[in-house]
Amino acid sequence: MQTLWSAWMQYLPLLLRGTAMTVELTAAALVVGVLFGFLLALGRLSRVPALDTLATGYVEVVRAIPVLIILFITYYGFAELGLVLSGITAAVVSLGGFYATQYGEIFRGAILGIDRGQTEAATALGLTSAQTMRRVVLPQAFFTILPPATNQLSNLIKDTSLVFTISVADLMYQANSALSVNFLPMDMLLEAGVIYFIFYLIIAKVLGRWEVSVQRRRN
Amino acid sequence: MHIALEYAGTIGVGGLKDVALTVVSLILSIILGTLFALGRLYGPWPVRTLIYWYVEIIRGLPAILQLFIIYFGFTQWGINFSPLTAALIWLVAYGTGYAVEIFRSGIMEIPTGQREAAAALGLSSRTTMIRVVVPQAYAIMLPPLTSFVVLQLKNTTLLYLIGFADIMYEARLGVDATNHAAILYFMAALAYLILSLIIGRVGVRLERNVAAYR
Repeated sequence: MQTLWSAWMQYLPLLLRGTAMTVELTAAALVVGVLFGFLLALGRLSRVPALDTLATGYVEVVRAIPVLIILFITYYGFAELGLVLSGITAAVVSLGGFYATQYGEIFRGAILGIDRGQTEAATALGLTSAQTMRRVVLPQAFFTILPPATNQLSNLIKDTSLVFTISVADLMYQANSALSVNFLPMDMLLEAGVIYFIFYLIIAKVLGRWEVSVQRRRN
Repeated sequence: MHIALEYAGTIGVGGLKDVALTVVSLILSIILGTLFALGRLYGPWPVRTLIYWYVEIIRGLPAILQLFIIYFGFTQWGINFSPLTAALIWLVAYGTGYAVEIFRSGIMEIPTGQREAAAALGLSSRTTMIRVVVPQAYAIMLPPLTSFVVLQLKNTTLLYLIGFADIMYEARLGVDATNHAAILYFMAALAYLILSLIIGRVGVRLERNVAAYR
């Protein structure tokens, strides 16, 4: 028991350094994914057929490819074609590019899901179309978006663990480098697992429950 | 171009291994997932709590970490799995965690009227479960089940990291030998794209077949 805790304490700073990288990657990929996803949603809802086809094609293809392969194509494949990206850039581009398809579909569904009667009622009350969008459609769409968006965020954190395969020093990478030194694979992986699990609990339970309570208060 | 032709065969064989592993693990995880879902819904509280946390842990930990715990972690306790065994254990453990939730929501969506009608007809609760509730739950489950199959298939990409000779492993061997990363990883992506398309088609067809049960 004594040795177990000393090993966990000894490698905690290393793992926490990896955790910082994991959090940074998640934040950057989230920003890329949400912004690009919003553009994809607008593209799919656009009346211009070319934009619609382009956005739909991107979503359908990228969604079907495993994240690890997307990562390898952006890191190794692009480099062969002359576009050399750093590990971190490749990680943000591929995670952001993949999660944009998930967020795009969430946004599209939420915008389509707002009842047409809502906008008609707003018009009848004399609101301008800008006011309708800002005061009626977006607030309602926002709370439809939150639960699935939170769900995707916890998937995103988990998927950042794949970047250790291209030597980005995230939590998974640090756990692997620790276990290759101290030969305690179970301890190091479990310790990393505890850290990942804390993030999961915070996102899924705390944020999820807050969303439910906000939703309930609004109704 | 000849590189694509040279490696199409080995990547194809890797693809067959991925498919075989996905199918076997899927069957096992659907059986276990069904049992766990019933335990989660109707079992005594220790069973319910245990299954609840099992599902949370499977959903909360990165896939790659789970795989590494099984393959590398257990070596610390003197337990060594072959890559194939570790891959199968992980895919079943992971799949079960997801199948439980899919199946549980499937069962919960069956109207209580169905169960009351079965009771009124004099069916035992066991027969009601097996003949009335579960078949209808499977019909409701089909759409989420299709995306679950795709998820499991995509998960097989991680297996190359423990040395299982699948699509990714063959593509990587090819890249190491020829340095043509773009074309080979593109082929791997294409293989997964085709397989997901097939799964999607099968799913749509099955949904049409079971529409009568809904």
